[in-house]
Amino acid sequence: MTSPQTAPAIDEDRKLIASAQLGDRQAFGELVCRHQAGVVSFIYRMCGDPRLAEDAAQEAFVRVWQNLNNYKPQYAFRSWLYRIAANAALDVLRRERPVAAIEDLPLSDKGPTPEQAAEQEQRNAQIRRAVSQLSEPLRLVLVLREYEGLSYQEIAGALDIPTGTVMSRLNTARTQLRRELATLLEEA
Amino acid sequence: MTQHLLEWLPAYHDGELSRSRRLQVETHLQDCPSCRAELEALQGLSALLQADPLPAHTPVERFAGQVQLLLPRNSAARARRQNSTPALPGWVLGIPMTLLLVGSFLQAGLWMTSSLLATGWFFGGGAFAAWLGSDSMPDTLGTLFLLNLTLLAGIASLWMAWLAFWWVWKRNQNISVTTELLEKEY
Repeated sequence: MTSPQTAPAIDEDRKLIASAQLGDRQAFGELVCRHQAGVVSFIYRMCGDPRLAEDAAQEAFVRVWQNLNNYKPQYAFRSWLYRIAANAALDVLRRERPVAAIEDLPLSDKGPTPEQAAEQEQRNAQIRRAVSQLSEPLRLVLVLREYEGLSYQEIAGALDIPTGTVMSRLNTARTQLRRELATLLEEA
Repeated sequence: MTQHLLEWLPAYHDGELSRSRRLQVETHLQDCPSCRAELEALQGLSALLQADPLPAHTPVERFAGQVQLLLPRNSAARARRQNSTPALPGWVLGIPMTLLLVGSFLQAGLWMTSSLLATGWFFGGGAFAAWLGSDSMPDTLGTLFLLNLTLLAGIASLWMAWLAFWWVWKRNQNISVTTELLEKEY
């Protein structure tokens, strides 16, 4: 899970944004490097296709560059960035359905033996299927919290919804997942 | 045992509670197996979700390079330049407008006075001059003409001063924006 941003990291982001707003492409490149993993991971967890996730993440960063001058430093950059990323993810989901079935996606880390790997893969496929079955509003909140580590406030800012709605959607999503993944949770 | 705190457990699990409420939940958890089990279920779900790894993806430098290639050239700098040229302050624009209005008003007054005097002198002659109490009408008209000239010269000087001020102000703005952009581009 991406860890919450620390104060020095936020300050560093602010400096890079200020430079990028003046047209400094190198500063923007650094900003991309700092947030690439989070944005790609977020979109991947939303759409389930690694190739589409990377394309959409690139598109999201281009939109960030084009709209940098609309960004107000008094708001959290992560919220603003994830708002753009969420739109890119939803565009991907509406434009082209992921080509691979979400449970058949390749894994980077296989188990030590083929049997264990197959077992692990089956478990992961079940998790991904359960997440993908959540409605988009629930999935957005769950992914931003569970995988990206955004605070309720940041999620509210990113999705433009009240904090109370963030909490209720998160609770609903978790309840549904606990029901879907009851067997795996018991095994664990 | 106190009442269950189930509704606070998700926020506690996500680290979103205030310090006092967190302490309250922690104290309650020590004596409540039911709430402890609920918290463990939340923690178990988070652990299970995060156990699903991300697929291998493009190295970050390569990704950033690809993004750089997709960026429209100088769009941010252009937008910044547009935003960073401040509009002329209202009072700067107000000065020439006020000068124009005052000048036009005084000109109109002088023109009307001169016209009335000239017409009266032309038709009334000496009687009009006597009525007015002026021995020499041409002198009076001449004085008015001189006054008019002085007024025009005064207004023209003020206009020139405003133009000089505006030119210097505009030049300074251009220099600061250009310097800012050059520093960033090179």
